[in-house]
Amino acid sequence: MGKVNWIGLWTLIRREVGRFFSVYRQTVLPGLISSGLYILVFGFTLEQRIEEINGIPYTLFILPGLLMMNTLTNATANTSSSMLQMKLLQQLPDILTAPLSAMEISIAYIIGGTVRGTVNGVLVMILGIVLIDLPVHSPILTVCFIIMVSWAFASLGLILGQLSDSWDQLAMMQNFFLTPLSFLGGVFYSINMLPDWAQTISLFNPIYYMINGIRFTTLGIADTSPLTSFIMALVMTMLFTISAILLMHSGKKIKE
Amino acid sequence: MKIPAVKIRGLKKSFNKVQALNGVDLTIKQGEFLGLLGPNGAGKTTTINILTGLVIRQEGITEIFGKDTVKDYRFTRSKIGIAAQELSIDWFFPIEKLLLFHAGYYGLSNSQAKERVDIIIEKLGLGEKKNTRLRQLSGGMKRRYQLAKALIHDPEIIILDEPTAGVDVELRHVLWDYLRQLHSEGKTILLTTHYIEEAELLCERVAIINKGKIIKEGSPNELTMQLGQSGLSVRLSGWDDRKKELLDDFTFTYDNGRLHFSLLDPEKDMATIIKILTNNDCHIQSVSADKASLEDVFLDLTGEKIN
Repeated sequence: MGKVNWIGLWTLIRREVGRFFSVYRQTVLPGLISSGLYILVFGFTLEQRIEEINGIPYTLFILPGLLMMNTLTNATANTSSSMLQMKLLQQLPDILTAPLSAMEISIAYIIGGTVRGTVNGVLVMILGIVLIDLPVHSPILTVCFIIMVSWAFASLGLILGQLSDSWDQLAMMQNFFLTPLSFLGGVFYSINMLPDWAQTISLFNPIYYMINGIRFTTLGIADTSPLTSFIMALVMTMLFTISAILLMHSGKKIKE
Repeated sequence: MKIPAVKIRGLKKSFNKVQALNGVDLTIKQGEFLGLLGPNGAGKTTTINILTGLVIRQEGITEIFGKDTVKDYRFTRSKIGIAAQELSIDWFFPIEKLLLFHAGYYGLSNSQAKERVDIIIEKLGLGEKKNTRLRQLSGGMKRRYQLAKALIHDPEIIILDEPTAGVDVELRHVLWDYLRQLHSEGKTILLTTHYIEEAELLCERVAIINKGKIIKEGSPNELTMQLGQSGLSVRLSGWDDRKKELLDDFTFTYDNGRLHFSLLDPEKDMATIIKILTNNDCHIQSVSADKASLEDVFLDLTGEKIN
């Protein structure tokens, strides 16, 4: 075994990816179904009554936001639930007593979450293309952005999973923190439609930049500079990744 | 002299101001089968968990084959296979797949892992259950799986934390046989147990831990010889107090036609005592010997029972 336990790392990645694919009905299909429902409901009922935003029909406008919401919630859910489940079911000692470093364990979990987030995001994108002709201005940039956001939120999920002691605690963090931030990040509206004070508050919401960025790479429109969105996403990714690795290294709530 | 398989010096650990380990010193030679005996909360599992990295060491030295368990964790963890007391549960994968993953964590390639998994599954009688999910296994099968997991990377040191807790007698004997076999193959084994019989039958050496400290070490025989007062009871006629001086070398009492001796080694002294008595007109009706057990040793040392 050299400086990096490559086989161990690869094995843990396979386990993490295999875990969510083995229950794809819970981990992949729900996002697709709910996104499909949003498209149907908004497409057939509300779109006639809501004005275009920046020259884009409403259903099309919200789709990048739905895509991003689906991406980040799945990426977060994968790592947080996997970590908490392993803690509660006494599986974590198997990993912690193996010759794997804190960084290898963190990266393996994060990659597992990134794959789930990316699969979900890309599937919603394909759904949009098939159902409502979603124009993807830059497919490569879109996929790269999905991967980066998945990585960032998989890291955040790992932190939440490690810090949680119960499903209740984890659900609280997701319901009272992540879901509101997602909805208030501009999935269903442009922040230009908000009063000034609300616009200012939105600028402190990291998810706003994620949605803004993906809206640019798909529809070619953005509320704020795409470069700012990209930099913010990159900063979040680095911040969450480093925090997750340091937390794993500290052994907080997983080692006594 | 060979480097010890396990070396622990001055190991201390506290949890929320409770001193769990209070300066544990322990050495396990290569190829040795050592039993760590102690009541609940004595510090057995904490000691093991520090060796494997599950608990963070506060003070002291912990080495595996001369390497520090914190600084050289990759080396030390790859040498250890641990069967934890707590049984894990998995909802997603069949046990064969779980064992393959486990082998991978220890750096075994796909082909090596497959080969080891086939061997271990066969040896531990898990063949019929290899496609079953862990949560669907019986308690006994879960214990076998736990041991299989510990052995999957063919470790040189095997740590077993209460390996037969909650298993039926038949399986206990199967596991004991397998542990003896592993020991005969040269594996170093560290076993913690509540079952005195298990330690007496399997271990070459026993370390007794209480209140976070090793209080006595030795082979089960040495410990019972040093500390355990064994009993010999002789029912006889023809005894009178004038014959007391004949048995001056022994500690004994007489009560209602019966002599009770407290001996260190009754098997050795029995013949001498019988000879003295029969040569002096005593008619022996019955003789019974009770050898001290590790349980007695433990009771003598700590003033409490192990269970």
